[in-house]
Amino acid sequence: MMKEKLESVNEFEWRLPKSARKEMKVDARIIANSKIMNAIEDDAVQQLTNVACLPGVVEPVIGLPDMHWGYGLPMGAASAFDANEGIISAGLCGFDINCGINLIRTNLPYDEIKKKQKELVEELFRAIPVGVGAKGKLRLTRDELEEVLVKGIDWAVENGYATKDDKRATEESGRMDGADPSKVSDLAKKRGLPQLGTLGAGNHFLEVQRVSDVLDSETADKWGISGENQSLIMLHCGSRGFGHQIATDYLKIQEDAVKKYSIWLPDKQLACAPVNSDEGQDFFAAMQTAVNYSFTNRAVMTKWIREVFEKVFSRTWEDMGMDTLYAIAHNIVKLEEFKIDGKTRKLYVHRKGATRSYPGKPVIIAGSMGTSSYLLQGTENALRKTFGSSAHGAGRAMSRHSAIKKFWGGKIKEELSGKGIEARSPNPKSLAEEAPLAYKDVEAVVDSVHGADVSTKVARLVPVCVVKG
Amino acid sequence: MKYRIIDDLTSDVLFKARGKDMKDVFENAALAMFSVICEVERVKPEKMLEVEVQAESADRLMINWLQELIGLVDTESMFFSKFEVTEIGEKRLKARIYGEDMTPEKGETVVKAVTYYKYKFQKTKEGYSVTVSLDI
Repeated sequence: MMKEKLESVNEFEWRLPKSARKEMKVDARIIANSKIMNAIEDDAVQQLTNVACLPGVVEPVIGLPDMHWGYGLPMGAASAFDANEGIISAGLCGFDINCGINLIRTNLPYDEIKKKQKELVEELFRAIPVGVGAKGKLRLTRDELEEVLVKGIDWAVENGYATKDDKRATEESGRMDGADPSKVSDLAKKRGLPQLGTLGAGNHFLEVQRVSDVLDSETADKWGISGENQSLIMLHCGSRGFGHQIATDYLKIQEDAVKKYSIWLPDKQLACAPVNSDEGQDFFAAMQTAVNYSFTNRAVMTKWIREVFEKVFSRTWEDMGMDTLYAIAHNIVKLEEFKIDGKTRKLYVHRKGATRSYPGKPVIIAGSMGTSSYLLQGTENALRKTFGSSAHGAGRAMSRHSAIKKFWGGKIKEELSGKGIEARSPNPKSLAEEAPLAYKDVEAVVDSVHGADVSTKVARLVPVCVVKG
Repeated sequence: MKYRIIDDLTSDVLFKARGKDMKDVFENAALAMFSVICEVERVKPEKMLEVEVQAESADRLMINWLQELIGLVDTESMFFSKFEVTEIGEKRLKARIYGEDMTPEKGETVVKAVTYYKYKFQKTKEGYSVTVSLDI
């Protein structure tokens, strides 16, 4: 049992020394309180040790409190590699590249939403293509898609879908400049073409939420949250089939690269390539197109959400103060600078199911359907402890299959309704698979990152309307 | 039984499909995967596509076949419910796949990818079996 080798650093941090396994080059570190630690699977801890064996890995490999077993590396993990001697890995990024969250502010009080709650959820459900099988409303040409891949949110700004303020409130300003569509397969582009402006399925959602607690009023005020019962909108989705195909393509390419460059892997799923190889840099360039696609995807849907609010409340979106509070990415590889032992080093940081946590910047942690989500603030300590990373969600505790067997979508909908939450999905099963009890307790996740000071609580948000794919 | 879902993975879906021969196991694996993507029993086999897949080994052929089908859901905007492998060797297969235009009402979940986790393709006494995990 790898978990037995964990040493407690303090109430919220655990160290897995590199002596736990002879091939480990660096320690691993897990951010978790005791409740979370009890629930973490041993297999997921084992996966962290696998990553700690890779070339050029920089100490420590990070497990976040929402971590659960994932392909190659747990979801809810961050790992950093030296910019000269390290690797870049499609497996350590995750299949849904730039799956992420946009948080949109409104100045509408909960009472006002409540009066139109049913109409609002129906209109949102109609306006946003949700679920597997939903067709997009945009009809992009191939040239336009190429533009989206290069320009990211700038395309949305130029075409009237987003504003410059939306761009400013997006991680990477909504555009990664190293994006190169020539490194993307034709199949990925074919899959991406009809899906821009669609939400997808699984754990992706659109929620109207209300602020239930302000926990740091100074920061909340700075970010335009004036108090309890203010309504916000949370949109969670990714790069759709476009990103999935890029990840699939490059896993194969990097599997071959592992043989070509004679990289020893403790687990075949950790396909990777040296940072300065074609197989490494081509993935990095292709991944950035998916990052740009996803930022644009969420920006386009933000416009449609604003239009729904305009229709339902008969006011302009500007009048309702519907600005993007922040838009962040979960599954991403970035070249970032960190100070380590007094020296500034460039590292390829892989965040898989992890949110960037930079001092003063918003961090958004989504709870499971029907439970609370949190707005937090990044910290200086996150730069020192977790390569500027924090948790991204609650983390699954029960398989989709078990959840569908155990829960019935209709009942879940009723239960949510009893709690004042209106939920809508194309298929009741998708409500069952995302049943709140299928997830870990988000409060314990947030307490852990707050306790370890890798991001601090600003506001707690609870759902009012839920649209599920 | 053609296939069964193994309730073992928290975040993903694991299934085991069997077949009396190669053709059969490939068809059943496709059916298993589509039982996760959509309500296969409600998807009518009213439109047909021809598919050809290649790989360096039978092992890899299965992965490529399933990945090809995932891609076709997006590029053709279709759900599939009937699979006929018409030609199969160790490194190449041809198939006719049947389904209908997709609708969210018959959709279940997005399968992001076919992965190598617990992947096992093997010859058995009765024919062949394959265990596959899907990233969802």
